Amino acid sequence: MLKYIIRRLLISIPELFIISFMIFMIMYAAPGDFLDQYRLDPTISAETLEAMRKEYGLDQPAIVQYLTWLKNLFKGNMGYSFYYRRPVSDLIWERVNATLILSVSSLLFSWALGIVTGIFSALKKYSFSDRILTVVALGLIATPSFFLGLLMLYLAAKTNWFPISGMISTSYNQLSAWNKFKDILWHMILPVSALSLGSFASLMRYMRGSLLDVLNEDYVIFARAKGMPERVVIYKHALRNAINPMITFLGFSISGLLGGALFIENVFGWPGMGRLIYQALIQQDMYLVIASGLISAILLVVGNLVADMLLALVDPRVRLT
Amino acid sequence: MVEANGKVLTGEVETEEVEFQEKYLSRGQLIWRAFLKHRLGVVALVILIILYIIALFADFLSPYNPLEQSLRHTYAPPTKIYRSYKGQRVGAYVLPVITFVDKVTYERTYREMLYPRRVVVEKPNGEREVYELGKDGVESIRFQVSSIESIKINGEWFDVKKSPRTTDYLLFGYNDEALSKGKSRFETNSAVAQEVYFKAYGTRFNLTDEEQIEAVAITETIDNIIVRKDGRLQMLTGKVIDFDYKTYPVKWFIKTWNGKLFWLFPLNLHLFGVDNYDNNPYVKLFIMGADLFGRDVWSRIVFASRISLSIGFIGMVITFALAMVFGGISGYYGGLVDEALMRFAEIIMSIPGFYLLIMLRAMLPLDLPSTQIYVLLVFILAFIGWAGTSRVIRGMVLSIRQREFVEAAIAIGLPNSKVLARHILPNTATYLIVASTLRIPGYILGEAGLSFLGLGIREPYASWGLMLAQAQDVYVITRAPWLLIPGLFIIITCLAFNTVGDALRDALDPRSLG
Repeated sequence: MLKYIIRRLLISIPELFIISFMIFMIMYAAPGDFLDQYRLDPTISAETLEAMRKEYGLDQPAIVQYLTWLKNLFKGNMGYSFYYRRPVSDLIWERVNATLILSVSSLLFSWALGIVTGIFSALKKYSFSDRILTVVALGLIATPSFFLGLLMLYLAAKTNWFPISGMISTSYNQLSAWNKFKDILWHMILPVSALSLGSFASLMRYMRGSLLDVLNEDYVIFARAKGMPERVVIYKHALRNAINPMITFLGFSISGLLGGALFIENVFGWPGMGRLIYQALIQQDMYLVIASGLISAILLVVGNLVADMLLALVDPRVRLT
Repeated sequence: MVEANGKVLTGEVETEEVEFQEKYLSRGQLIWRAFLKHRLGVVALVILIILYIIALFADFLSPYNPLEQSLRHTYAPPTKIYRSYKGQRVGAYVLPVITFVDKVTYERTYREMLYPRRVVVEKPNGEREVYELGKDGVESIRFQVSSIESIKINGEWFDVKKSPRTTDYLLFGYNDEALSKGKSRFETNSAVAQEVYFKAYGTRFNLTDEEQIEAVAITETIDNIIVRKDGRLQMLTGKVIDFDYKTYPVKWFIKTWNGKLFWLFPLNLHLFGVDNYDNNPYVKLFIMGADLFGRDVWSRIVFASRISLSIGFIGMVITFALAMVFGGISGYYGGLVDEALMRFAEIIMSIPGFYLLIMLRAMLPLDLPSTQIYVLLVFILAFIGWAGTSRVIRGMVLSIRQREFVEAAIAIGLPNSKVLARHILPNTATYLIVASTLRIPGYILGEAGLSFLGLGIREPYASWGLMLAQAQDVYVITRAPWLLIPGLFIIITCLAFNTVGDALRDALDPRSLG
């Protein structure tokens, strides 16, 4: 097992290099650079601009810039953000918490909801409640996440039950620890529900389809014919097999933990990674973009690995060699 | 019996019918028959056809030019269409509207305007006279209104200000009763009004607190009616005993703005619109309200559908063309080509999709003309979708290549390109048709997302995502919730494509063909 993990991680290293290089080349090929916004400013002299170019290393050829960045990466330095003039790792670290709060809770929420409703509607196939759930899920799959966010925003504005934007209230610093927690929780409700409603729908459809497939298998029919109680047939035999395809899906969910909430963060003004990445892209803040792209790619690798390992744990037929 | 779905029991004749169909219907007809069995799929297909027709005939269906601004109508609500006039049923008509910040509540509201068309005046000597626009040389009818502002303190009303003015119109729900009842009264006790009047008159009445102003009222009366008749102004001082106001009829097939049918033929005939016979700038027919610049939301939705609906379709075609070429080549030839292409595809797949989308978009200049952005978006979307599909096609080509008919084709001596194009790729058609239908929503959502973030189609042109971007502000969303309507169109379109895709999958499944 350990050998397998190490081998997988080793294989992914060149892949990560290529990805980081590709992102770098895309950013480098983009017309203009970070300094464009300063060039338009008449108060900044040409000498200052030249000095800034030197300082940021933008005067070097592309390959030198990339290699310098790579060298620094091995020293644990992911580069400096042009815009914030701070180490990229600090910036990302600051935002990671806010995003993780959002995405982890919506991940848990949507998986719990998706699996439960998926099982429910598979067991009550073609019943009224199954049809309702199916219609709701198909509708949600067709809904862009930002539209869901806008609807929630409208709800918040109309009812005044929920805060409209941000992660904390203005009086946050004066609150006690318990009230701080409640404050964040209160701000979270809308973005988390918008996020989880979006992903719950496809999870539910997958779970339903997968369980229905398994319920048609011979061993389920056999278990029933043997006179096993329905509860045992479903939860001990069918469900265990039906959950396997879902685990691969979990890998994808893990990779989307940091960047996946971009729209919702934008709509609700949530100070998370998605917005950081988006702004960095627009401002051509090169190292911030590459670093966050690299982190997303690492998450994808890790997510897939975790999914494979979980699959091996759950399904004795799968052997990792 | 081939058919086992219960039809056997219903009688000899029907069984024969079914057998006849199976024998003599072509494969296409059989697929169509299986598709028709999928009720929801048929409904969704009809919806899609309607949507594409809307996009095609956009100029005919939109009552206004989607780029035409009317700053008088910022966030105008959907225009109310009336069917009755003074209790009588008449043809549909609308009234002019104006943004109006009234003096007492300081709230910005849209109010309908009362433009006089005919007044009957009883003169002090008991004589009645009728003045109707366009008749007997009457050119205009205006009002001289005097308005009295008063405040209520300790249950007693005090008049604080009296101001006369001349106006062309009155406002419904505000001062229209000045005409019908001789006097109108608008009363409020809003906090804003209290504050404003406290500031202005607090010292005069020795007030210490805003709350002491219990209410504020504006009373308006019509002093004179000024009629311009045969080029001369007349002042009428009598009592108005009857009046009519201007209405603007809503008509089907009306000639208004100049559009272009199918981008080519000039067309000024439109499905519906309001007959604005005296070019009143306040008259508009917004069936779905107006946006920040007073543009008609419905017209913009119709024109935006061209972008949203075509981007999905064209993007899908390019994706699948790429996927067929690359997937086909790497599956058929194998070896180094296969290895290189598939590794490249894997790397593209390992960068999170939307991240790659934004990155590619950011790579290209932001301020391009909309037509170029459109082309760019299509290619970016196609480029991202290409990797996954080509892997599937490669897999299919690998298995089809082992089949006898391919070996036979090779044995006959057909060149590789022909074997691939004539014999192998057509066998992936079923998958391609289903997958492409199911993939289109992804493109539509991708375009909507980019435009929503301001990276896609740009103002003044419209796409559904861009229209939703206007609704990002909480204040806008509460004032103009109709700006969310484009989102419904996105949902309906994606839902329809998904449903048609499902139905197609069922219909193309060999087991369902009977």
